[in-house]
Amino acid sequence: MTWIFLIFMAVFAVLSYLGGRRLAVRRSHGVKPHSRPGQHGLYAVIGVLAPAMAILILASVFSAPIERHLMAAGSPEVVEQLEPFRRQAFMADARRVGDGGQALQIWAAPYAELLPTEGRRAHNIHALLQWGGLTASVIAAILGGLFVFLRIRPDLRARNAVEAWVVGILFACATVAVLTTVGIIFSLVYDSLRFFGMVSPLEFLFGTQWSPQIAIRADQVGSSGAFGAVPLFAGTFLIMLIAMAVAAPVGLFSAIYLSEYASKTTRAVVKPLLEVLAGVPTVVYGFFAALTVGPALRVFFNTIGSWLVGGPLDGLGQYLMLVQNQMALVAGCVMGIMLIPFVSSLSDDIMNAVPQSLRDGSYAMGATKSETVKKVLLPAALPGIAGALLLAVSRAIGETMIVTMAAGLAAKLTLNPLETVTTVTVQIVTLLTGDQEFNSPKTLAAFGLGLTLFVVTLILNIVAMRIVATYREQYD
Amino acid sequence: MNTKLIRTPIAYGPEGQPTGAGAEHSRSVAPTVGDSARAGLGPIKISAKNIKVFYGEKQALHGVSLDIPDKAVTALIGPSGCGKSTFLRTLNRMNDTVPGARVEGRIEMDGEDINDKKVDPVLLRAQVGMVFQKPNPFPKSIFENVAYGPKIHGLASSKSELEDIVQSALKRAGLWDEVADRLHAPGTGLSGGQQQRLVIARAIAVEPEVILMDEPCSALDPIATAKIEELIDELRERYCIVIVTHSMAQAARVSQRTAFFHMGNIVETGDTEDIFTNPRERRTLDYITGRFG
Repeated sequence: MTWIFLIFMAVFAVLSYLGGRRLAVRRSHGVKPHSRPGQHGLYAVIGVLAPAMAILILASVFSAPIERHLMAAGSPEVVEQLEPFRRQAFMADARRVGDGGQALQIWAAPYAELLPTEGRRAHNIHALLQWGGLTASVIAAILGGLFVFLRIRPDLRARNAVEAWVVGILFACATVAVLTTVGIIFSLVYDSLRFFGMVSPLEFLFGTQWSPQIAIRADQVGSSGAFGAVPLFAGTFLIMLIAMAVAAPVGLFSAIYLSEYASKTTRAVVKPLLEVLAGVPTVVYGFFAALTVGPALRVFFNTIGSWLVGGPLDGLGQYLMLVQNQMALVAGCVMGIMLIPFVSSLSDDIMNAVPQSLRDGSYAMGATKSETVKKVLLPAALPGIAGALLLAVSRAIGETMIVTMAAGLAAKLTLNPLETVTTVTVQIVTLLTGDQEFNSPKTLAAFGLGLTLFVVTLILNIVAMRIVATYREQYD
Repeated sequence: MNTKLIRTPIAYGPEGQPTGAGAEHSRSVAPTVGDSARAGLGPIKISAKNIKVFYGEKQALHGVSLDIPDKAVTALIGPSGCGKSTFLRTLNRMNDTVPGARVEGRIEMDGEDINDKKVDPVLLRAQVGMVFQKPNPFPKSIFENVAYGPKIHGLASSKSELEDIVQSALKRAGLWDEVADRLHAPGTGLSGGQQQRLVIARAIAVEPEVILMDEPCSALDPIATAKIEELIDELRERYCIVIVTHSMAQAARVSQRTAFFHMGNIVETGDTEDIFTNPRERRTLDYITGRFG
């Protein structure tokens, strides 16, 4: 039925386009019309589709509550007496039976008999509403067509009207992203406020103890819950530092090579390759960290460690486990590799934006390439590169998958890169996966962490964009 | 063969005067020209023979030969795309930095082929300064801009020596009085004309023998242009200057020799006065009277 309706509307739209065009030509009477026939056609399509769509959207939004209301109004008393969620389940099963299906639950005596009748009623109400919506939509389309039919004249500014609609549609699309962001912020803030109602913000921001387990029953011991996020911030910061220590020099140097030294052909091969690296899903980097880099580094450091300790074996014939697979160094290194293409691609763009005249000026003074890079290019591009690095930092802080797989879960307050640490993002993941109780501080802590993370990365991004933008202006 | 271009850079006295053996050497060689019309000019400094330049498939110069005298201004004129800037860029091997560019022919500077494999283009460019169309000061302070060349070539052994070099270069570029009190302000903050003089100061701070100027006034207003022209006239006493210009009036005002380029060839070369008052070629006449270009 929906398909028939859609086909009908499409045919109607095409017809109104052709009709609008014909009409515009026919009514021009030798006068030069303001808009071309095709624009009248588009005007007609909009005139027909816009009211039809509006009605359709209204119908789909309001049909469900109306349906519920109608069902509730006519239902027998026994059904009324059910608890709200049981009643909902009954109505849903009734619908299923009415549509010719099976009930999901087994209902006891009075309800089992009521199912078929209630089901038929639900089916009818649903069909009625659906038909009503579609009919209203078709009527709206026809009325719109009539309106257009009356309006089309040589002096109608169809062109401007179509333009206004185009602007409107583009604006609506742009707004979706912004509104979504605003929605995200509101939900974050709302749940964070609930969290900070239970745990004081001071404890959260400055406490050094993180153990979010909370006693579910009163007789459980040892799980009172501590929400000091400092170890998480420290872990995030440590991993970010390691990642930047890898990504900043390697990314920057490869950008210098690409923009200043590489021949056109090398550049044409290497740059796309680097950008492909940027497209590798972070889960894949996560595997790489957890299954390749982690064990390799563990063996490496344990071997060194056992030399220092004085023997490779402990009493059970095992390597001394001085270091585990999961450590800050592994996550940091792999994250750094992930960020290399990001840093190099941005820095490359920025260095290319430095005018050739500056390079020429330096070469003409008898400077070599590396002198030119060091003394002219890098100072000129420095603000932009700083911006690029800040953007990379903000990504490193927000990165989740690699750290989840390679950094570990222990919230330790340490700066030792060989220790297991945990980050803000990892904790959000662990707090929110699985079955959760949505009014315990344990779950809500995720929103507190999320808000903190959001604020930090937002500030970093704003500062970075500012820097990059002012740098761009400098050479325009 | 003269090994001057492979030597270590000359030392400079506090007034920017070259001192030491290398400097004396640089003033000695070069054939004299027996052309009576050129009586007031120095000996031939650069001699280009049959220069061909290719950018990939495209040939920009079709065998150009030109003798450039020392202690004089030689103007290269001609319509856009005629190859005059390309020719200028062969004189300090700046075309080496253009991917796909190829230069054929022989360019002798003081009798030595600058395209020879033994010549280090980096040292050559220290000897042949260049000023570009758009002022291109580095995003550094005025002082650092001028000190750039002396620093990378190690011309100054102490801070005060460096300051002396910077000061004398700025003085010779006629910029000292305007910037003496703000040497550490950014060079990009100067006006267009001041920036161009700063760039000239930067070029002469390494005490080159030749200065190439690629339309140095095309981005400047008339007053700044007049100042630069005055400066070029003063610099002529010490350097061999080659200037590319679009302005016939400028060529007539500042140069002693003029070469007219057209479609990658030199149509006519001669004393500026002769070219502008009594051209031998029809095309030259048409160009200088504004009938094309």
